[in-house]
Order: sequence, then structure tokens, then C-alpha cells
Amino acid sequence: MGKEIGSVKLGSLYTNGKVRKCREWRGFKDTFYDYTRWLKIMGILSKFIIKPRNIKAFFRYRWMANYLAAPMMVDRHTQGLRGPQLRIMHTEFDLVMDDVAKLLDKIFKGDRRIGNDKEFSKRVVLVDENEMTAVMMGFPTLLALSRETPAVYVSVLLNQFAACHYIDVAQEYGLPGDVCPMPEAEAGVSIDDDFPVLGACAVQCNTTCDGSLMGNGVISKRLELEDGIPCFQLAAPLRHREDDVQEYAAQEIRNCIAFIEKHTGAKWDWDYYFTCAKRVNESTRHRMEWLEMNKTDYPQVLGSNLALYTETNYMAICGKDQNFVEADRKITALAEEAYKKKNPVVKEVRHRAIVWGVQSHFYMDFLLWLQNCWGILPLTDMLSMVSTKMLSEDDKEQAIYDMAWLTENMIMRNRTHGGYKVLLDELWEFCEEFNADTVILWEHMACKALVGMHGQFEEKAREKGIHLIWVGHDLFDPRVVSRQEIRDQINRYMRTVFREEPVDPSLEVLTDEHSW
Amino acid sequence: MKDLKHLYYFEKLLEDANNELVRLAQEEGRKCIATVCENVPEPLLNLPGVFSTRLRAPRTGSMEMGTYYLTSFLCEYTRALLERAIEGGYNFVDAIITPDGCSMLNRCIENMELLKTFKKEHVFFEYMEIPMKADDNGLNLYVLQCKNHILTPLKEKFGIDVSDAALRKAVEEHNRICELIRALGEFRKEDNPRITGYEFHILTMATYVAPKNLLIEKLEETLEEVRNRKPDEKKKYRARVVLVGSEVDDVDVVKLIEESGAYVCADRFCYGSFPGRDPIVLKDDEDILTQICEQYMMRGQCARYMNQEKIQARRSYVNDLAKEYKADGIIYEQMKFCDPWAYERMVGSHVLREDYDYPVLSVDRPYALGISGQLRTRVQAFVESVEIKKIQGGKQNG
Repeated sequence: MGKEIGSVKLGSLYTNGKVRKCREWRGFKDTFYDYTRWLKIMGILSKFIIKPRNIKAFFRYRWMANYLAAPMMVDRHTQGLRGPQLRIMHTEFDLVMDDVAKLLDKIFKGDRRIGNDKEFSKRVVLVDENEMTAVMMGFPTLLALSRETPAVYVSVLLNQFAACHYIDVAQEYGLPGDVCPMPEAEAGVSIDDDFPVLGACAVQCNTTCDGSLMGNGVISKRLELEDGIPCFQLAAPLRHREDDVQEYAAQEIRNCIAFIEKHTGAKWDWDYYFTCAKRVNESTRHRMEWLEMNKTDYPQVLGSNLALYTETNYMAICGKDQNFVEADRKITALAEEAYKKKNPVVKEVRHRAIVWGVQSHFYMDFLLWLQNCWGILPLTDMLSMVSTKMLSEDDKEQAIYDMAWLTENMIMRNRTHGGYKVLLDELWEFCEEFNADTVILWEHMACKALVGMHGQFEEKAREKGIHLIWVGHDLFDPRVVSRQEIRDQINRYMRTVFREEPVDPSLEVLTDEHSW
Repeated sequence: MKDLKHLYYFEKLLEDANNELVRLAQEEGRKCIATVCENVPEPLLNLPGVFSTRLRAPRTGSMEMGTYYLTSFLCEYTRALLERAIEGGYNFVDAIITPDGCSMLNRCIENMELLKTFKKEHVFFEYMEIPMKADDNGLNLYVLQCKNHILTPLKEKFGIDVSDAALRKAVEEHNRICELIRALGEFRKEDNPRITGYEFHILTMATYVAPKNLLIEKLEETLEEVRNRKPDEKKKYRARVVLVGSEVDDVDVVKLIEESGAYVCADRFCYGSFPGRDPIVLKDDEDILTQICEQYMMRGQCARYMNQEKIQARRSYVNDLAKEYKADGIIYEQMKFCDPWAYERMVGSHVLREDYDYPVLSVDRPYALGISGQLRTRVQAFVESVEIKKIQGGKQNG
């Protein structure tokens, strides 16, 4: 056990319970750093729970119990990391944790059942979990808050079983079990009346899939008809690469802005918009730099760290928070330094992989497992390969089209919609660019847009001589495919096709069936 | 009741996608434009020189190749279509125009394109963006998409006349079919109807899969025949139901429901007559294409329309149909793995039951029903519950 990467048998830390046996010893410097960050997380949680209204919310909302697992979630994402990677990860995740804590605090402040601050609530625009918040970049006095993010999305990251109750609720209400469990769980929360109620209005989006789109109907029924919160459905075009849909998309943005102005009394502020646009551009430049590094032999910002951070920064923040730009700068500085020193990320790199498809949400740290167990480097993933287009920083007319473009190219949606080329053909282009020999293809079984290309993926991979490893799962529901079953799909391929032995054999089979 | 003279003829038309009338129209030199969704305005595919057919995969058996490409998680309709395409069952098609409707249909057609399943050299694929909200912006999009992905390619590739006069003629022909189907459907309102739901379904489906002008004569004859037809003295059915839901092109679905004692008095599903066989009313002083698109958009009952106003309107539309056609209950059906109708069925069946007080049967089903004992049992039980409710004077909720 010690300072060097790969010096700890990580599997030995697992127990059959909810948490691991002990913290990982990473040498004095890294362990001390990691411990101070753990204290910071505990500080964020303490600051949050000290408020009486947040304690009240803790007992009102079933999903709040998952937040007890927050420190463990951060620990899961640091497994085996040392030096710059550990610091990059903490820079990303600690900020995300802080952002989620603030989001919860704001939600409960305005929630009619908890804080019931009516004046505050009037400044809130509810947004979907899977929605670009670009349309809020020009409203400095308003807050775009997503109820689904803390109730469902983050909850599953914290506790693998978090969504199961709500999935069951939706199915008991009559929803078939074959739909995507994410909108299914969100609909379940709404059916269970377990969403906080606040806001002057809401903006829903025809997000990633038919399931998401339809699940929104369930949510808006309660919002509009019972809670009296007007909803705007932002229907972004599906074939987003086509020129003849862009004017329609831009008009949807104009209509959405007018709707928000009408229901909040706020006025669109171009200065604030362009400030946000500059931040988005800077974040994009940083992300592009990280990806460029990942094309070399010394990748630095990769795996689940890249995925989760990009998702938060690109979609939910979208230029509205300077803290994320500061974090981007820090990450780039750390990565550049590590790159210059040719810092290795793992003990042994055996394969360079592109991770494609929709990742299993209850096992986000799987990408770290790939690195640590088998030496497979997840260079980038589908959800991180989002728009790299620079936004106009001064042209108001172009800005409308830019917001439309961002909305159309929301994470996941930019690949699951838009025709087969963005999902299928571009994967092989990325394989070439990143010099990847392997594709880890998440097969989220209920994602119809993705599995509808199953045969094409197989045939093209064979044609191009790329190792394609299917990893089937059910996104939010570990009862269908467990974490070990996910690992076994890789284990089988590595042993039978590659005929390799694991870099860290202690990780091949883990007792984490009951863990958070 | 005496069998309808042309029923067998219409049934035969539905046994093969490349049916007798499709072949006849192609022999006349007309191009066959295939589609797979009700959101593509039919008259635009029935301009002089072309005719439309909605793709089906009748007599589907194995779907192994379709399942390999699409996996077993996609609905059987899409898998059956792809299977049939790979088998060469759609080689007669000259072009396919499809909306990016549901993800599954979209992927199905994309696979057909990638696998080069259509053999004609000139065959082309067009994908349309269609509105998800019924508003001005959606209408502008719809019109532009119809121009760019239907009219322009038809003109450029097949030299089809897409003038206003040609559009008006296509709408007239479309309306003639709609009038005939509507007139036939009116008999379903009778207490002891002189046309069965099954017969009506067969006639309606034929109008989606065969060139319209070649059907008119036999439909007119059938209408006259039904007009003079004497129903059986003893009523055959124990309950009247509206069948609501996703794509139903399987001839056995309505048949099975009726064999189980429920008369399908109204059909609100893709391939049904509501709203697909509503005539298009054209004004002289407005752009024709815009009028067609507007009527398709405003009357559309597709579950993909996502604004709450339209969502609520879907349920009240079912209520209106049930009232008009004197239904005792509603059957909400959904093809298994269909995401849009999974949600619509779930909420719709609760709303119709709780807000509108109808007995509702909510079921999912395979694409090709065959002899489904499970569905038969459920419909029989539903009919019994409706009967009991009637006996109890509607005093108990069931």
C-alpha cells in the first residue's frame, strides 16, 4: 500500500456492506490532501443541514436520504488516483457537490411545503434535468433550478438503489417496465408527489428520447393543472444537423424567452448573456485542450471525471457560474503540468478506449474500474463529445441561433438524435483521432435510439478491426443488471478475446451488491 | 349478417405489402412512395404520377434479422418492417419519406437505408422533421419540411407536378376516400350496427396501403351494400368500446376484441379512421400546402405532441368519440416497447377512468397478435365488468 499508482489492491477495501472497509492509503501527501477534501465535503454537508428548513426537507422527501452517501460517492471516484489526477478529480467533484448543495438549498427555500419564500419562488424558472439551460443565459435576476437533478439524477450517483422506489411507483401506476428508467423514475417522483413545488414557471424540453419527452407530460400535468405553474415546452428539432430546421429552432428560443419574461416579469439582458457566452467559450476551449491531450500517449483529464464534470458544466451551468471557469483553469494548469512531466494515469496502459453510448448511472465510477482493473484507458465518452462550436460574443441575432444550437446539441441528445451519422459514423472518426483500439459500448437496454443501431455497430466495428465490448445495463436500475454483471461483461471479453490477466486481480469480482 | 361482397377482396389486399393494386398502379407508370407514419400528409404523396403506401409486414413470422439489427427492445412493428425489407418484401418501393417520428421507426428506416434493402436504383430516402407542438412555429416548420423533403424531391427526381392545381386534385381524391370511410363508419353508431368493427378496420386499412383512386369504385359499392344491409335480429355484442392507442395494422386485433364480445364502435389509432380519415377542407384564398399541414397538425392525435393543451385534447377527443359512438368503455392499447404510447396509455387510461368515468381496459400487445389467449381473456373479463356495471346501474366503480 502506498504512494505509487497501482500499489494498493483496491478490491481488498470492499466489504459486503454499504461502505468500504477503510480509506485508501496513497502515501502521506496524497492521503493528507484527500482527507482535507473529505473534510471540505463534510463542511458542505454540515453547512447545508444546519438550516432548519433543510432538516425539514430531509424528513419530507424520501430521496433526500441518499445524500447521506455523498462522501462515499466522492471516494468511489478517487479510487487508485494519485497526484494530479486526484487533484483534478477533487477540483471537479467538490465543485459539483457544492453546486448540488446550493441547488438543494435554493429549492427548499422556495418550496411551498418547506421554506415557502414566495418572493424567492417568483424568481425561479424550473428546468428539466436533461436540458440545456442556454435560454437562461440572459436572465441575471432569475434562477434556473432543476428538481429532477437532486431528486433523481444525483441521488442515483450517490446510492445505486435510489431510483428503484420511484420506478416501482411508475410501474404500479401502469407504466410498462421496458421504458427508460430515468424518465420513468422522474415520472414516479411526480406521481408520488415527491417533487418540491416552487417557481414562477417551468421550461421543459423534448430532451434525449421519446421516454423523456413523454415523461415530461406526466410532470407538466401536475405542474400546470395542480400546482398552477405554467410550462413552456421547448421543442428543439431532432434532426439538428439539418440547415432547414435552424430557423424553427431559433424561433423556439425567442418564444421561450418571451414566455419567461411574461411569467417572471424579468427582462432579457444581452450584456449578461454575452458574459455567459464568453464563459461557455472559455470552458469549451479548456475541454478541447483536455481532449487534445487525450489523443496523445499521456492523457490527463479522462474517464468518469471528464464525463460528469462536462455534463454539469456544459448543460446545467452553461456559463452562468464563474466558479466553473475558475475550476476549468485550475484543471488545465494541473493537466498541462502533468502532461509535460509525462505523468502516467494508471500503472499500465493496455488499451485505449472510446466509451460510447449511455453510461450506467448507478455505476458511474465503472470507468475508473476499467483503468484500475484492466488498464483500459477511457479516453473520452459519448456524453463528453458535445458541441465545440464557439458562441458569438457580440452578435445578438447570431446569439439566438447559438442558444438554439446548444439546446439541440444537449448532452446525449446530440448523438441519440440527428440521424445515424452522429451516433455511428462519428464514433469511428473518434477512434481514429484518439488512436483507440477498443470501444466500450454501453448498451442501455431501454435506450431505443441507441440499441436501434446495435447491428450496425457490430458490423462496422468488425469491418474496421476495432474491439467492441458491449456492456448492457438498465441505467438507473441495478436490479436488472448489477454492477458485478456489468464488470463480468468486460472480464469475459478480456479473458476470452484478449486472453489477458487483470492488472489488479482483486478488482475482478467485488462485493458491492449492497453498497451505496 | 350477409357477408360483404368485396370484403374478401379487401382482405386479400392486406395480405401483401406489394398488393394487386400497388402492382397495377406501377404498371400504369406511377411511382410508389412508401411511408410509415400518419404525420406525413398523405395527399402530398398522392399527386398525379405517384401514390402512397403505408408500410406493413403482414403475415409476420420470424423477426430474427430485424432483432439482430434493432435488438429485442424495439417494438415489433419496426423489427417486422426491417425483417421484411431485408427479405426483399419492399423492393417495389420507389422512395420512402418518413418523419423523424419515434426513435424506433427512425432507426428502422435508417437501417433499411444502411443495409441497402430497397433494390430500385433510383430509390431515395427522405427524413422529415415534424412539429411536436401545434403552434405557428410548428406549422412553419411543417410546411418547409414538406416542401424540402416531399415536394422538391418528387419534382426533381420523378418530375412530378407539385403545383397548387395538382395538390388540390390530390386533396379532392383524398377527401373522396375520407367521405366514403366516414359514411361507412357512421353505421357504427347504430344500436344494432350493420357493419362490424372488423369489416370497417379492413376497409379503412386498405385505404392506407393501396392507391386511392383504384379503391373508390369498390368502396362506393360497399357503402351502398351496407346501406341496404339488414343486421342480425339478435345483437351479437355485449359492450361497445372505443379502441385507442398506437399503430394497429394487424387484422386480428379488432377481430379478437369483437370475438370476445366487445363491438369496436370507434377507432382512434394509427391506421384507424380517427383522425386519419378526416376530410381536408380547403379555402380558395390561402396557401394550399399550409392549409394541409395545418389540418394535419391541429387534428393530430400523435402521442409525440408534447404541450399540455394538446395532451389534454387527446383525452377529450377520446371522450367525444365515446359519446358520439355511444361507447360503454375504452380499450387503451399499446404495442409493446412503444415509448410514446406507453406513457400515453398509462396517463390516458387513468384520466378516462377517473375524470371521465369510463371503464377502461389498458393493455399492451405484440405486433402480430395471432391467437392471443391472454388478450382474449382480458377483453372477456372487461366485457363482463362492463355488463355488471350496466346491471348495477353504474353505481359501483369498476
